[in-house]
Amino acid sequence: MLVIVVENAPPRLRGRLAVWLLEVRAGVYVGRYSVKTREMIWKQVEEGIGEGNAVLCAPAPNDQGFEFATCGANRRLPRDMDGVRLVSFLPQGELGEGEL
Amino acid sequence: MLPKLSPLPLKERFSLLFLEKGRLDVKDGAFVLIDKEGVRTHIPVGGVACLMLEPGSRVSHAAAVLAARAGTLLVWTGEAGVRLYSAGQPGGARSDKLLYQASLALDPEARLKVVRAMFAMRFGEPPPARRSVEQLRGLEGARVRALYENLAKQFGVKWTRRNYDPTAWNSGDVVNRCLSSATSCLYGLSEAAVLAAGYAPAIGFLHTGKPRSFVFDIADLFKFETVVPEAFRIAARKPHDPEGQTRRACRDSFRKKKLLKRIIPAIEDILAAGGKKPPPEYEDAVKPAYQDPEGLGDAGHRG
Repeated sequence: MLVIVVENAPPRLRGRLAVWLLEVRAGVYVGRYSVKTREMIWKQVEEGIGEGNAVLCAPAPNDQGFEFATCGANRRLPRDMDGVRLVSFLPQGELGEGEL
Repeated sequence: MLPKLSPLPLKERFSLLFLEKGRLDVKDGAFVLIDKEGVRTHIPVGGVACLMLEPGSRVSHAAAVLAARAGTLLVWTGEAGVRLYSAGQPGGARSDKLLYQASLALDPEARLKVVRAMFAMRFGEPPPARRSVEQLRGLEGARVRALYENLAKQFGVKWTRRNYDPTAWNSGDVVNRCLSSATSCLYGLSEAAVLAAGYAPAIGFLHTGKPRSFVFDIADLFKFETVVPEAFRIAARKPHDPEGQTRRACRDSFRKKKLLKRIIPAIEDILAAGGKKPPPEYEDAVKPAYQDPEGLGDAGHRG
């Protein structure tokens, strides 16, 4: 299972994602592919995200059972807590790199 | 800029998708089906092995281009999914594979070995020794008739013989209609697999002389394991929509039997049984001026 959520993504990226994944809500894409294919799809996101931002969630053999990757700036930042990956939510105005 | 769009391997895809009544087009780079009310349905074209287009669908130039780049076979079908024409995933991309296939088909000894390997794969035991291709075909026919009769008995369906009239669809009995619908699903998938593996659909071993001889050879390997029992099971229920129910049952059986994972390796295995090496390259061959980057797709996928 593979979930990608994009925000503020250019239409050509959203169209490209719809070639392999199902858009179940605006910007939320779901599919089931191998790791290799997932990496290919994520590369498309990284190259095409422009000013927007995206997150990918997929199952992984770790304690949490899943992993996630992000690209582009968002108020929610991934944070490593002793090997467990959590998310920090920045207050308004203190945005990450190149924030909106 | 987005990286180049290239095909995914067949084994990661969903088997078949039937589309009817609507216009297939490309919107923002996505493959969409637009109905007459203007409702858009996104089709994950790159994640399907074969799109079956039923009467009432129209395809735009951009949609055909996108299907080709995603390596997805488009099959135009007639009533109840019977195949008419296909395009979208051109075959013949690999000259080495085509020459290898042709060299096996041209050598009587290798051809017999391939036919024997198909028999063994199909029935789970090697065929009797010292039989010609013609004799093996006879043995196969007798076994197939017995299989049909057994299945009919098992599901309590009246069975006379495999019989259908492609010009008058509704004339056949229910079980024959279910069988036609089921086999056309399997043929669509097998054709997509033969093309994705880089081989020619027309160069068959047991079947010859038809545009899809090799497709029939490959489909027969899996026919009685997947689609035929499903067709009998559906026919026994006397449904009001035998074709639709058969298709759905076939898709389930493809998934349960992991057909998309097995079909290309099976093609390679039966060809390897011919005992020939792929023909060597000529010494004076000039290498391509530039090498295309390798995609994730199967050998026969372009780009």
